[in-house]
Amino acid sequence: MTHRTVEVPVIARVEGEGALHLKVRDEDIQDLRLEIYEPPRFFEAFLVGRHFSEVPDIVPRICGICPVAYQMSAIYGLERLFGVEVPAGTHELRRLLYCGEWIESHVLHVFLLAAPDFLGLHDAIELAKTQPDLVKTALGIKRIGNDLMEVIGGREIHPVSPRVGGFSKAPRKRDLEPFLPRLEWALAQMPGIADLVATLPKPELPRPAEMVALVHPDEYAINEGDLASTSGRKFTAASFEEVSREVHVEHSNALHSVMIDTETPYFVGPLARVNLNARRLTPVARECAERSGLHVPESDPFFSMAARVAEVALAIEESIRLISDYVPPEPPMAEVEPRAGRATWVTEAPRGILYHRYDVEEDGTIHAAKLVPPTAQNLRHMEEDLRTFIPGVLDRSDEELTRLCEMVVRNYDPCISCATHFLRLDIERT
Amino acid sequence: MTRVRVIGCGNLDAGDDAAGLVAVGEARAALEAIPGVEVVEAAMPLAVVHLLEGVDGAVVVDAVRAPRGGRAPGALVRAEAGPGGLPAALRSSLSSHGLGIVEAVGLAAALGETPRVVFLGIEAAEVTAGRGLSPAVQAAIPVLAGQIVAEAKALAGTVGS
Repeated sequence: MTHRTVEVPVIARVEGEGALHLKVRDEDIQDLRLEIYEPPRFFEAFLVGRHFSEVPDIVPRICGICPVAYQMSAIYGLERLFGVEVPAGTHELRRLLYCGEWIESHVLHVFLLAAPDFLGLHDAIELAKTQPDLVKTALGIKRIGNDLMEVIGGREIHPVSPRVGGFSKAPRKRDLEPFLPRLEWALAQMPGIADLVATLPKPELPRPAEMVALVHPDEYAINEGDLASTSGRKFTAASFEEVSREVHVEHSNALHSVMIDTETPYFVGPLARVNLNARRLTPVARECAERSGLHVPESDPFFSMAARVAEVALAIEESIRLISDYVPPEPPMAEVEPRAGRATWVTEAPRGILYHRYDVEEDGTIHAAKLVPPTAQNLRHMEEDLRTFIPGVLDRSDEELTRLCEMVVRNYDPCISCATHFLRLDIERT
Repeated sequence: MTRVRVIGCGNLDAGDDAAGLVAVGEARAALEAIPGVEVVEAAMPLAVVHLLEGVDGAVVVDAVRAPRGGRAPGALVRAEAGPGGLPAALRSSLSSHGLGIVEAVGLAAALGETPRVVFLGIEAAEVTAGRGLSPAVQAAIPVLAGQIVAEAKALAGTVGS
């Protein structure tokens, strides 16, 4: 029996610790296990006994790259439970804040994590050496996202202004207006970026998939809406746990999400959103999707990059609109009276739907919390992608196979926020 | 005007991954007393690319982890970025967010925008969510904080002069 272990030093780009165990015998996959996500169990326990007002400060610590998503799922859920009427303009400011996070996260992924793979380059540094203008453009766009989050959220490690009830402090119109020329510049870059994405050599992974995303009658859903799937399911955040459940996986700490009735995995994230919300795409976002060759319905996960590019355009267009129409909420925050019950909400984190549930006592103390992040929901789907994809590329060297497996996994932009370090790929061929 | 930026990186909720932030926090008062020095805390190493803009020098502080336990927990590491960025051996600098300090400084260097960068690393023992600093790392924090101040002073005194 031959047994080789391949270490993958660049795997830092999959954000954290994890491993892909692959055992192959006579061209058959005997065993395939992807361990790449550590769910935020620590934080679920940490939240118990805390006052609801502390939640917006605790949950963003779960993820350095999508703190707004964690805040929004929590805040909206608790406000719904408490029956809070937020001041006019609050929803718009929250959407703008979330757009900043989408811009930052998507640009980071598309240019600095995924593009080097597609171009066969070692990493983003190599990309910066060969295409410095492209990387400068990307960093310039990404920085707009960062700066939006800073101006709205406060200049701290995590946004500090979002509260249950509104914002502790809302930016003035003149704080936001300087973003307009920068956003116009960024928007003008997007069609060219979509053209570039169209030219990237792309593996294919056509496979049927049930994709799930928020949908909203009037807008491309981010903070508000109901859930829908490409298989025709319609449900709400309140019934999320009746539709999807996490199953323990043998020999692993991981939890995999499946649909309860069919026991099948599902797929969340930018591609799911574009599929389910194609009619709500903004004009340049729609143009970007077309130019990059993304036509719905499309379930090949390798189109995720094109979907992210379209969503960057959408987030830029939405930011321009929201800033142009911005009227600061006054007062920035509503009074909040807690009441006992169950708070549930789903928002669209950059990586897909993020479900929160809080059981709250009468005085506003959190009695139980459940957080189901998008990466956890995608994990089973990622494994199935690998099972489908690997047999067609088993003739490749370990190195090439590793690179291709990484690309399959990276379509989902997996995040294991609270853990760290190296992902190993162990390939055992017998 | 800011000439030297001291940047602490890490995650306060992941054991020793907090070390860079904690050490910079401890040094903050002394740092802010040095003219031209600004202190910034960054959750994501990639933010360092932007933070290197517009200054003459930077001190970047983060937890690191040597492959296969090559350094004792709490051990301090110092590296200065050259034209190609930081030594690749530091690639194991902790990052839960896709790109580490080495990549961030390397990106800035590849784009020709690097000021003088001094990297101070501290070897992590464990980075489990919800844990505090390990005893070895905790014990090394005052030394690291002192080193941060000394490096910032040296940069503020030398750069631009």
